[in-house]
Amino acid sequence: MRKLLPLALILAIIFIGAYLITPKLTPQTDVRPLGKFYLENSYFGDYSAKSPEVVTSILWDYRGVDTLFETSVFFLAIIGSLTLFRLNKKQEKEAKQKTEEFSGGLTLVIKSVTKIIVAMILAVSASIALHGHLTPGGGFQGGSALAVAPLLIIAAYSKYALEEHGLDKTRALILRSIGLLGIALVALVPLLSGGYIMQNQPIFPAEIGGQLVSGSLIYYNFFEFLAVGAGFTAVFLLLAIPESVFRKFLRREAHE
Amino acid sequence: MNDVITFIWAVIILSLIATIVISLYGIARRPNLVKKLIALTIFGDTANLIVVLLGYRLIYPVAPPILPSLSKEALKQFVATAVDPLPQALVITAVVIGMAVNVLIAFAIIQIYRLYGTVDAGELQNKLLGGGEQ
Repeated sequence: MRKLLPLALILAIIFIGAYLITPKLTPQTDVRPLGKFYLENSYFGDYSAKSPEVVTSILWDYRGVDTLFETSVFFLAIIGSLTLFRLNKKQEKEAKQKTEEFSGGLTLVIKSVTKIIVAMILAVSASIALHGHLTPGGGFQGGSALAVAPLLIIAAYSKYALEEHGLDKTRALILRSIGLLGIALVALVPLLSGGYIMQNQPIFPAEIGGQLVSGSLIYYNFFEFLAVGAGFTAVFLLLAIPESVFRKFLRREAHE
Repeated sequence: MNDVITFIWAVIILSLIATIVISLYGIARRPNLVKKLIALTIFGDTANLIVVLLGYRLIYPVAPPILPSLSKEALKQFVATAVDPLPQALVITAVVIGMAVNVLIAFAIIQIYRLYGTVDAGELQNKLLGGGEQ
């Protein structure tokens, strides 16, 4: 009862406060001029990004440099996590050995369901990323969805299952680097033909084979998808190393 | 009818502000580092929600900022109903970056626990200052 009292007090303050400020509040019914500019120009207009999805065209075209630096913040955060848990070559090999208490993961039912769901997640995340210039979605959202697939495999099978099939931390980092490199290269391509950094139209073709690809947006989305998905996968692989193994490394380091 | 909608609007805004105040309390006053991190994620998500709310329009019908069809006739109707896309574009990156930064903080907390055997900020201070003296 005593714990509920502050909660009730907060709720009462919110409702009374809302009742008091309601007459003074004018609800927002209009878009700001800048937002209106983006809405009008994203597909038609003189400053077109050739994408019906206004959010993606702001993300990778109108405000592209913002996103470029956001990606570098993401890069630094992942690198920081990997540095905190760094292992040398010998330890990395040892971390791939199964521990004695490892019993083979969860039951057969969960493993079978996981197989189906992981395939579906991969398809959906690729769809989110590659249709990012047409429908809600894009590289960031697709990459986050992609990172759920290895997480499910780690939970149902184990991290050893991922590593035995070739997806270890190094491979994930290489994939992530390919993604980041791709973003940097696509951003620099317009300089070759006299444009400015991250220019979209008219340097990149808006349609390929009759399909609307919105110039550079699809390339950015694809590479961001790779970078985000593989970056989180590398982090999850490190997090999945059993606590006992890490404690053994730390104890050994303290002795030396 | 319009008054009711404005009232709900005011409740939403005040609830978000209350959530921010509570999460700030959690960050400042909870000694446990994990609970501090949880409060920090709530703070970040509420801030993102407020930014999205800035671009919302209280009209009916209201549409997402995606062109429904590629024809010039639909554009006028679209501009009249679509919400502001700019806050959404800013929040999309902030959510994923926030997740990566939270992972970094979580890694730091796990490493602190491994090295010092505690996630309590007060105990940690004692251990770092050489124990004994309080």
